[in-house]
Amino acid sequence: MKKPWYIAMVAALAALGSLAFLQGQTVDEDVDTSDAAQVNIGPEGQPIAFPHNRHAGDLQLDCQFCHFSAERSSSAGIPPVATCMGCHTFVAGTERQEEVAKLRGFWERGEAIPWNRIYKVSDHVSFPHMRHVSAGLECQECHGPVEEIGVIQEVQQPLTMGWCLNCHIEQGATRDCTACHY
Amino acid sequence: MSEGIKRRDFLKVLGVSGAGAGLVGCSTDQVEKLIPYVTPPEEITPGVATWYSTVCGECPAACGVWVRTREGRAVKVEGNPHHPVSGGALCARGHASLQGLYNPDRLEGPVRRGEDGEFQPIAWDEAEALLSQHVQDAGSDFVFVTRKEGPALAGLIESVVESVGGSRVEYEALSEAPLREATRMAFGQDAVPTFRFEEADLIFSFGADFLETWLSPVEHARGFARSTGIDEAHEKARFVFLSPRLSLTGQNADEWVPLTAGSEGVVALAIAHALVQRGADGGPYSDLIEAYDAQAAANEAGIPAETIEELADAFQAASAPLAVGPGVAGQGANATATNLAVLILNAVAGSVGSTLHVTRSDLAAPATPYRELADVISRMAEGQVPAMVLHNVNPAYSLPPESGFRQALGQVGFSVAITPHLDETAALCDLVLPDAHTLESWGDSNPRPELWALRQPVMQPVPHFDSRSAGDVLVRLAGRLGEDLGAETFHDYLRNRWSDLHAELGSPGGSFDAFWREALRVGVVEVDAAPAQATAMQTPDRALTFDAPELEGDGMALVVYPSSRFGDGRGANKPWLQELPDPVTKLAWHSWVEIHPETAEELGVRRGDMVRVASPHGELEVPVYTYPGIRADTVAIAMGEGHENYGRYANGNGVNPMVLLPATVEEPSGTLAHLSVRVNLEPTGRRYSMASIEGSDQQYDRPIAPAVQLEELREGNIEEAGGYPTRQELQAIGGFVPITTEAEPQDFPLEGARYGDYEDSGSTPRWAMAIDLDKCTGCSACVTACQSENNVAFVGKDQLAMGRALQWIRLERYYEQIDSSQPGPVDIRFLPMLCQHCGNAPCEPVCPVYAAYHTPDGLNAQVYNRCVGTRYCANNCPYKVRVFNWYRFSEVPEPLNWQYNPDVTVRTEGIMEKCSFCVQRIRKSENQATLEGRTIGSNEVVPACQQSCPAEAIVFGNIRDPESRVYQVSNNDRTYRVLDVLINTQPAINYLRKVTFHPVESIHV
Repeated sequence: MKKPWYIAMVAALAALGSLAFLQGQTVDEDVDTSDAAQVNIGPEGQPIAFPHNRHAGDLQLDCQFCHFSAERSSSAGIPPVATCMGCHTFVAGTERQEEVAKLRGFWERGEAIPWNRIYKVSDHVSFPHMRHVSAGLECQECHGPVEEIGVIQEVQQPLTMGWCLNCHIEQGATRDCTACHY
Repeated sequence: MSEGIKRRDFLKVLGVSGAGAGLVGCSTDQVEKLIPYVTPPEEITPGVATWYSTVCGECPAACGVWVRTREGRAVKVEGNPHHPVSGGALCARGHASLQGLYNPDRLEGPVRRGEDGEFQPIAWDEAEALLSQHVQDAGSDFVFVTRKEGPALAGLIESVVESVGGSRVEYEALSEAPLREATRMAFGQDAVPTFRFEEADLIFSFGADFLETWLSPVEHARGFARSTGIDEAHEKARFVFLSPRLSLTGQNADEWVPLTAGSEGVVALAIAHALVQRGADGGPYSDLIEAYDAQAAANEAGIPAETIEELADAFQAASAPLAVGPGVAGQGANATATNLAVLILNAVAGSVGSTLHVTRSDLAAPATPYRELADVISRMAEGQVPAMVLHNVNPAYSLPPESGFRQALGQVGFSVAITPHLDETAALCDLVLPDAHTLESWGDSNPRPELWALRQPVMQPVPHFDSRSAGDVLVRLAGRLGEDLGAETFHDYLRNRWSDLHAELGSPGGSFDAFWREALRVGVVEVDAAPAQATAMQTPDRALTFDAPELEGDGMALVVYPSSRFGDGRGANKPWLQELPDPVTKLAWHSWVEIHPETAEELGVRRGDMVRVASPHGELEVPVYTYPGIRADTVAIAMGEGHENYGRYANGNGVNPMVLLPATVEEPSGTLAHLSVRVNLEPTGRRYSMASIEGSDQQYDRPIAPAVQLEELREGNIEEAGGYPTRQELQAIGGFVPITTEAEPQDFPLEGARYGDYEDSGSTPRWAMAIDLDKCTGCSACVTACQSENNVAFVGKDQLAMGRALQWIRLERYYEQIDSSQPGPVDIRFLPMLCQHCGNAPCEPVCPVYAAYHTPDGLNAQVYNRCVGTRYCANNCPYKVRVFNWYRFSEVPEPLNWQYNPDVTVRTEGIMEKCSFCVQRIRKSENQATLEGRTIGSNEVVPACQQSCPAEAIVFGNIRDPESRVYQVSNNDRTYRVLDVLINTQPAINYLRKVTFHPVESIHV
């Protein structure tokens, strides 16, 4: 019981961590995601084309490395610019250096990065990330294979109440309404 | 937060994600922004609350509080359990301080009166330069008027004023200067005594509203409830109220002696006289006491002489008696004498040193009484004040117009107001500097010699308002005036002072930095100051008149009393306080005049009729509230309403009774005499739509709030005495045949009850509550605490008058026994009515969409997103605790919405809502317990109402656990469940009935 729990937790933390990243990622479906130049600031784009596959896939960064509060808070947390700069002060990037330059620009100007939100639950839903992390859920269960997707284009799962409940029933978790709605 | 961040956007987003950063497939055309920090503050985790300890600034009692912040934004104020004044509790005004912080009527920036007489924006630097120029030019004619402030700010003001040789005046509209002066005369010490209600076994209040506004209400309420609430040994203190009007405090009395207004002093002396006759030592006051015999006092007070003898007997028999009074409402021309008389009574009875301690504490007694402000006003009127600063005071509103303050202010060369928002006084000034709110400011407090506390900003200043704290403005002003304070900011100044204090105290806790950090963290520093305590009475240094003052005019005596909701009126622009039904009259959003029903009959008016109230000094029109708790020859109007220029929620509501009063200075204390006129009432023939939440003040023989006589309780006759049979339940659904059961509180719901759709596994907690009605004082702090915690919207006067108030707790108040014609027992029952979370809930089966259902852990849940607003549940609720949101009441002006608790859904139009037992706190504790790998503790969850209750009357927990407090409190002979015996609802709230000294009538069912 104990061991898988821990492993799962780490994985889930990672997954949940990526949730918040995903929240900050969107791009037009037609857009060639390898071409960062086409990612604009605006309702359809993101201010910086952040490649999750590079960070979570190639570099094997744990989701929670950036989404730091997933294991102890309802909110997984959007990494502060300072977190990005922890590496990118030294790492100028390989393929998309202009995106890293954008990041440094935000840092130098002391500006926050205005990510567009992809993942969102309604205001009447309370989703405690830490409970799902501690229950051993993979981040990918809800957020999809983040480590394979360059720039996340859309929500990977239906995210409906029925979908939530299916899992809750399978896992023997609570079906009480006030677990999420209050 | 770092520079350049759009804080508002960030907060908006995080507020939302805190409520539920999860996954739902709903798509929307609107793209939300996620704004992370640039550099994260160490102490903040998104979605997790950060708490700061600070000092409440709503009244001079200076309760220590904790402020819950989420993502850098204050969302809830709670009492700091480490602080001996608040003891973890808080009053309604303290909770509503958030609505001062986020008040949409705060000033957006400094303004200066232009050529055309209108206010024009002005830059801060320019404004400060202007201020220092005028202060410098005014020199020794400069006047600084401030309210009672903490030692650091008061000290700073003093040194600024001294640097130009000007004068400082402290002004509090609710001033205990007479008590301070009487204490000086009696004990030779410039002090306000400390009253230990907790240790008393008999309390006489000569009109002091110590549960509402008098000195330190939260602390008093705790002590009062501990002594007058019945204990395990079936002992409780008795409380006698001697006053022409029953305030909320008076409504908690066991006996009421309705004496004439102003006769409190002679009655106190007559009781002392009777005590001396019984062998007590009159000390240096023996001769004085000799002159006041029971018969003469009784004649003056309009009560029988035997009452005084009986009171003396009781006072003598008590082991720890305490007398307090008279409070602001009773301050007539003999206010100091009355206070002295009460102190003498305490001294003669030997209470000094036991229940009454003469230690230095200066709470609500300003350093300078009203007399000094009156002197300043005459100098102002003569044009001798070239510059003055008015800091957080509003004399244009709170002084009688006859004081001439408004006109005199026009004669001041350059008047400056430092205040967070425009008020009646600031509106007349030449320059208005927006002060930071107390929750955004540094400061300190020293309510007692042994007690120090720091006030710290709990968040960055609300960005909608370009405010600067008065402390910072004054530190810079001192710099411009050439004063070297050794500090650049008020924070530095405060640290310097505390560094000195630290050294003075012998460097507790090692280094100053550690001491400072600890003081900020814990919120209180208790030091070993052995206060010089006077116990010996001194010979009076001047003769005083104790007799009731002659009231000016003819007609009925007018009592102008401080509002328990607004104090002197400073809370009036906070919608929570406007919406909070007055604990006595249950009216909200407007004023009323309290008159006795017999008087009303003589006048030919009924409740809700407009009357013209005229004194020799002014008149006003106000609706009648017929109140059996006031003498037939007396009428009363509350302070606090009737603002003209204070903000959108205050303006135009009700009347300001100060217009009826003269600006009489009481001697020798120099305070403003409140009790000074008689008024005539004249019907206008018009009706007024009163906004009341009350259906009736009678129980009509229904078992809602039963009581039991103390003797019967001691003999175990609780079922025969004063109530319906306790251990009877109706069985199963729809069955109306009572059967006797042996059920204990934890056994509910009984077998056969409709307990939701869930199997009751017995393994989950069953959340339940116990409310001890013998402790509840009806103060209504829980109502506002709940409103703050649960995002309960306010609806305004018209909607409230239509019965659409949304508050989840209704503080019910029933008159059982109340007689103003003669001294005797008074029995007024309070009952906080909230969702009973019935085990057999009538609301649940009627919901067509299953929005109302029962959770496995015993909650009667309301799922907002499922609710379609049929209102069947409310119709079927026997307790009338379900409220329907008729409009978009939750859409409030920026930045008032910043207060919303991100853990609770903000409900909108068309949704039914009600008490949730603070389910968000239960879930939060469950989450925490799971993370820590344990099960949730039985006493772990503290709902907002319990947390706030100054009387410690509410206990919440898992009633399945025999070790839990809620089980132990509920397992009591006094326990009953409201209406349960009639309709078999099997509520989860166990009330403990009130205990009276007099026989109570049984309620038959």
